[in-house]
Amino acid sequence: MRRVSQIVLPVALTAAVFGIWDIVVNVFTIQSYVLPRPYAVFAQIGTDWDVLQPAMWQTIEEFVIGFFVGIACGFVLAVVMGELRIVRRGLYPLLIASQAIPIIAIGAALVIWLGFGLTPKVVIVALIIFFPVVVNVLDGLANVDRDTISLARAMGAGPVRIFLHIKLPGTLTPLFSALKLAATFSVTGAVLGEWTASTNGGLGVYLLEQNSRLNTAGVFAAILLLAAIGIVGFLLIAGAEQLATPWRTRSTPRRLPFRRRVPVTRAAATQSIKGESS
Amino acid sequence: MKLRAENVHHNFGATAALAPTTLEVQDGEFASIVGPSGCGKSTLFNIISGLLRPTAGRVFLDEHDVTGQTGRVGYMLQKDLLLPWRTVTQNIVLGASLTGRVTRKDKEEAVALARRYGLGEFVDHYPHTLSGGMRQRVALMRTLAVHKDVMLLDEPFGALDSQTRLRMQQWLLDVWQDQQRTVLFITHDVDEAIFLSDRVHVMSARPGAFRASYDIDLPRPRSIEILTSPAFIEMKREILQLIYSETLKQLAQEGEAA
Repeated sequence: MRRVSQIVLPVALTAAVFGIWDIVVNVFTIQSYVLPRPYAVFAQIGTDWDVLQPAMWQTIEEFVIGFFVGIACGFVLAVVMGELRIVRRGLYPLLIASQAIPIIAIGAALVIWLGFGLTPKVVIVALIIFFPVVVNVLDGLANVDRDTISLARAMGAGPVRIFLHIKLPGTLTPLFSALKLAATFSVTGAVLGEWTASTNGGLGVYLLEQNSRLNTAGVFAAILLLAAIGIVGFLLIAGAEQLATPWRTRSTPRRLPFRRRVPVTRAAATQSIKGESS
Repeated sequence: MKLRAENVHHNFGATAALAPTTLEVQDGEFASIVGPSGCGKSTLFNIISGLLRPTAGRVFLDEHDVTGQTGRVGYMLQKDLLLPWRTVTQNIVLGASLTGRVTRKDKEEAVALARRYGLGEFVDHYPHTLSGGMRQRVALMRTLAVHKDVMLLDEPFGALDSQTRLRMQQWLLDVWQDQQRTVLFITHDVDEAIFLSDRVHVMSARPGAFRASYDIDLPRPRSIEILTSPAFIEMKREILQLIYSETLKQLAQEGEAA
């Protein structure tokens, strides 16, 4: 029941928004270059699909590659900063300061350095995702209970095992919080990248072209597809989160079909404890 | 295995956290330390567990000098410290995965421990599904599963409500009788110390040092009735008196200092 309402409610609300949009355009007889009717936007997607489809794939490519590059760099840096205090002290202020620089300003410089290809767009998306990943993962590492680490040390564990078994799994939850935020605004990053560093291709470029022709239906077509990319990205990450952190929503792990549980006979196992302890 | 701490003491900078202290716990003995907070009980534990190198003094297990060596004793704290992403079984075998490989035998044994001590239905559950008492049981099983003959328990039931606590104390006695390990138990609850122990050591505060030790001759196995028996009450009176006079002395000292 809850599942159903989770899907039905947003879909119904979206439909309602389109409905109201259509009514408003009709009632106030708004010109189509100001605000097209929803069906005109869908029609535009249909008729211009041959152009839109490759543009969409290009934007997705920038988004996906940039996303993973950003996560990887952010995660590695967070781990290094988390483990080495001197690096953290030195780098953290710089990192915060870097966020004050508008990404679009960097974009102009990136074109000079990296040209007009895929690279500058990937770098812009990566730069946008990088910061929340670093901050959240660093938080996860810092929030590990000191007593848990003492316990592990008392058990005889070295720093590598402590990192792998205790610190690292603790970063998953904050990492996914960062990724869910990043999923939506890294689409914005891809568009920004296209605007500053593109001559052809991509939904951002398509949007500008349609805008200059006063084809508002085309602008909205690009917006709808960009929103779709953001939503699908978010849903994929939320799904990955469910798989990666099952303890947050489930009481037992998922049973994998190919992994059988070890059957334990009560008598044999009891014997093994008693035998060891004496 | 016999535990012996010989003249261990520790200073944090200029302040002495633990005055030179000697403590001996016999093989298979259940010993408790009671004392006010800040008396250096936890410092002593950290020294015995190897987490902290004493400023001076040595720690022996039987005849082996293990001063500053970790991984020699079992260790359990007031917080259960279960890892939320590990199931009950996986939490019990934590020691193995931190120091070597988790074998099939380790897993079987963990499941058997859980079954034996009343958590059989929860072997595959994540800790967030368990109650406070159940979580502390898992924490104790994790301590049992590292197969150390000496176990240090630092106020393990301090965060539980009094009913759960009483049940856990009885449960701990069952486990201890079953497993025959040497236990050193920290608490500031005198009732708990007497109920559980063969021997109770009383510590004074700042810098911590042992004031007295009491043999508890109450018969085993012990049940709740013993808590109101004359012998128990007499023991408690004696220990409380010592602790109370210590507290008064301390307050007087602090008064002078101020």
